[in-house]
Amino acid sequence: MTTTAKNRHTEAREPRLIEWATGVVSAILVVAMIGWVGYEAWMDEDMPPEFSIAITARTQVEGGYRVEFDIANKATVTAAAVTVRGEILDGGNMVEDADVTFDYVPAESKSSGAILFSQDPGAREVRIRAVGYTDP
Amino acid sequence: MNGVMTERDDDAGESRRFLIGLGRGAAGAMLFGIPMLMTMELWQLGFYIERWRLFLLLIVNIPLLILLAHRIGFERTSTAAEAFRDATIAYGLGIVISSAILVMLGDIKPHMPFSEMLGKIAIQAVPASIGALLGRSQLGGQAGQDDDEDRKEGGGAVPDEISTSYGRELFLMAVGALFLNLNVAPTEEIILIAYKMTPWHALVTMVASIAIMHGFVYAVAFKGTHDIPEGTPWWHVFFRFTLPGYMVAMLISLYVLWTFGRLDDTAPAEMLMSAIVLAFPGAIGAAAARLIL
Repeated sequence: MTTTAKNRHTEAREPRLIEWATGVVSAILVVAMIGWVGYEAWMDEDMPPEFSIAITARTQVEGGYRVEFDIANKATVTAAAVTVRGEILDGGNMVEDADVTFDYVPAESKSSGAILFSQDPGAREVRIRAVGYTDP
Repeated sequence: MNGVMTERDDDAGESRRFLIGLGRGAAGAMLFGIPMLMTMELWQLGFYIERWRLFLLLIVNIPLLILLAHRIGFERTSTAAEAFRDATIAYGLGIVISSAILVMLGDIKPHMPFSEMLGKIAIQAVPASIGALLGRSQLGGQAGQDDDEDRKEGGGAVPDEISTSYGRELFLMAVGALFLNLNVAPTEEIILIAYKMTPWHALVTMVASIAIMHGFVYAVAFKGTHDIPEGTPWWHVFFRFTLPGYMVAMLISLYVLWTFGRLDDTAPAEMLMSAIVLAFPGAIGAAAARLIL
């Protein structure tokens, strides 16, 4: 309880049990959070960003062909401005390429996007890879 | 409102006071809403935010406004029905002011799809409506000028002493945190900061947030500061108010981040980092709310 008298607030002298209960729960949460972050700070090794890309869908769209993919960053460091290039390869020769840039691919997380080709890759190989990034 | 005054008042005075109240609400909506109305990310969120998250935010805002109106009006002897009315007016004002300013700024144009306009206005209406309510209380309260003078002399309609229950105290902190969070959460800077920070930075931020929260309310002698009764050690109120307050700020931060889609497909550690970053302004907002409201 807080009592407000003429714009001064005074906390009650004898708080109810619920206030203490809430306080204890919060204290545990705060300590747990500090513990977790502290553990991460302790264990922190700066692994450079490491990407893996998985194609999730291929769809024919108006005037082209869409290849959707997920890009996951397994490292503990976030990458910014990640450029991903998609290529259609025909027996080792590049037929078409297209780029897409992700603002961020957060640490240990994934983002998704799509590359739009002007032609259907059909049976030809589609290669999608990250070609560069910056540190945020 | 002063009972004797009301009896003497005719309809003209009544409606004039109502208009003044509306004006204060509009001023509050503008004052507190303008930073968000001029933030690019919020315009974009207006059309890409997931509709059911926006819907949830709009629904959550209703009880929040009613409770806030009740709290602000409570000291000035208002009833639940009046709180409900005030909340409705504040929400309406928020919508009107947001649409008017967005149209004026050229952010809403007739050729846009209806859903985009609606999304932009809806997302802005939430902070603007809170601003409208705060405007009524902070820019003079819902009573007229005469009552303000009365209040200074201590003979007005404001009771000299009101009690705030513990739950309501936490609620006020939530409102303060939500308000400041809505201001900063949509910007890209929040996640950028979270990515730039190392866990060490996060640790310092957490400790600083908690210390600032405690200092704001108990140490720095602002108007409306809280006194600790004699004989109570400082850590009593620290455990009962500051730590739960910080948890409230954290929860609100997570909710706002989730609403804006900043937590999707993100690792728990990264979620925690952005929540810690956002809880920093949230903690300041929560502490300020305890002082102001």
